[in-house]
Amino acid sequence: MLIQRELNAVVTVCARDLLRYIRDWKNTLGFSFFFPIAFLGILGGTIGQNMGAGLGYDYMQFALLGMIANLLVQFTMMGVTSLIEERESGFTQEIFVSPVSRYSILFGKILGGSLGSLVSLIALFIVAFAMGIPLSLAGVGSILLVTPVLFLLGGALGILLSGTFGSSPKAVDRATIMVMFPQMFLSGALIPVKNSTGLLSVFVHLMPATYLVDLLRGVFYRGTPVYGQVVLYNPMVDLIISVALAMAFLVLGSYLFVRSERNR
Amino acid sequence: MLRNSPEDTWHDHEPIVHVEKLVKRYRHSGTAAVDGLSFDVRSGEFFAFLGPNGAGKTTTISILTTTLAKSSGTVSIGGYDLDRQAKDVRQSIGIIFQNPSLDLNLTAEENIRFHVSLYGIYDYRPTYRMMPRAYREKVLELAEVIGIAQDIFKPVKRFSGGMKRKLEIIRSLMHKPKVLFLDEPTLGLDAISRRSLWYYLQKIHREEKMTIFLTTHYIEEAEEADRICIVNHGRMLFSGSPGEMKNLMVSKYLVIDAEDRDSLSSELTGFGAEPMEDGSLKVRFSESTPQNILSQIKTPLSFMRLHEPTLEEAYIDLVSNGQDKEEAS
Repeated sequence: MLIQRELNAVVTVCARDLLRYIRDWKNTLGFSFFFPIAFLGILGGTIGQNMGAGLGYDYMQFALLGMIANLLVQFTMMGVTSLIEERESGFTQEIFVSPVSRYSILFGKILGGSLGSLVSLIALFIVAFAMGIPLSLAGVGSILLVTPVLFLLGGALGILLSGTFGSSPKAVDRATIMVMFPQMFLSGALIPVKNSTGLLSVFVHLMPATYLVDLLRGVFYRGTPVYGQVVLYNPMVDLIISVALAMAFLVLGSYLFVRSERNR
Repeated sequence: MLRNSPEDTWHDHEPIVHVEKLVKRYRHSGTAAVDGLSFDVRSGEFFAFLGPNGAGKTTTISILTTTLAKSSGTVSIGGYDLDRQAKDVRQSIGIIFQNPSLDLNLTAEENIRFHVSLYGIYDYRPTYRMMPRAYREKVLELAEVIGIAQDIFKPVKRFSGGMKRKLEIIRSLMHKPKVLFLDEPTLGLDAISRRSLWYYLQKIHREEKMTIFLTTHYIEEAEEADRICIVNHGRMLFSGSPGEMKNLMVSKYLVIDAEDRDSLSSELTGFGAEPMEDGSLKVRFSESTPQNILSQIKTPLSFMRLHEPTLEEAYIDLVSNGQDKEEAS
């Protein structure tokens, strides 16, 4: 009975987020297409045309996988941190006086953010198709196989940010940007990092998205001749690190968030 | 008596809200926002919690509704302990916050559906038609009673301030709370919306016999309360009925005048009459009527006015006296 009630709360919080994405379809679509066009189409396209020729693998396909990992993580993360924006409008109060576990609310937000970010995945596929980036059905299947891990770590990062910087939406926005851009450039999403050394190599390995990008590429390129050129670690190593990071962020973030909500 | 399990019954004669030595100190603040408050609210009571800005009203209501942690003290609501049984407390209460807490992107009905699903009354369904008949009937019935039946399927962003408040009332009644907390519910509403809202709140209080815990700046809204509690600087200044408050704090007086003021003045020497600015006389009395004073007057009167103290005067008197005492100490 108790579990059913908590599950119902998770579904409700998630359904509300989805409904909001649908109602606000112009912004949802605009946002979902803007990043793939800007980063994959313009930035990735420019790098690919000017520097991608001697790599020995299809740079645009490489960048597409990097962008999928990064954007799904970021959109899920932003879906969760919307809880802080809603605090300003007073709506968070309504959620937090309801007789359900705070953890169910947070899990519902992760689920809602994850499903919402699927729109951006479709946008990425459309942009990839428009740009002529090769993508087989099996390739799409392997991407979908990894998406739950991307959602999990993205959601966990969102909860950690909300718990740590939850005092104001501005602080969360700033923290999101501070997390988003280093991940984008240091995770190997657009720029290969296989040969990074020194301090840059340390930063590369500090980025949670590095392991997600590598996991996605590891699954996608498995059994292909370019596997050794594009993949850093065995996918199982990436999976273990990603899940361990997600769990640590979830536990710490939830604790900080629940505490910050009541202890002012 | 605290309830340990749902099987334990809570009795109507016990206070439905019990607050004892409640203290809240915000981080980085030298003084306590709530400083040792103790009070009880009885079941079915209309309880008004008054005080000037910064008195600790919203802090207290936030603690009672579990959205803010207290520093010390004990609180129980509906027989449930706030610390150990927070979820049960939340199930027992409804709250209308100072600022509307609605999702403006949803329709009025969707806001209600979201609420009932979170409170575990009904499982969530993606459309109104898919919700159980009991839910649909209850929504329409309450919307009719509160007066927003025409707009129940419209987006909340198109609602006026008064309509949003009415929607929040419907929403908070869906899970049949034992106590309805209202934190300055009429703040920012125009006079017509305020009156209409009060009409429905009083109707609900009468018909549903629901305990209402109100904080407000508008003293006239507390006139109908069964009991008033006045706080300032986090401390209790007064607790009693509106009538007791008026009687305690402000004396009643008679303003009289006559063509022959000297004669009138000499007749009232024993009653401590004070001359007013326009020359008329002010005579204080503590009995229920000024009959005793009037029976002494033989001089023909040209003017007479009976001054009944208002709750607002009593409130101002009480808060100012409290502040004077604090400054003096």
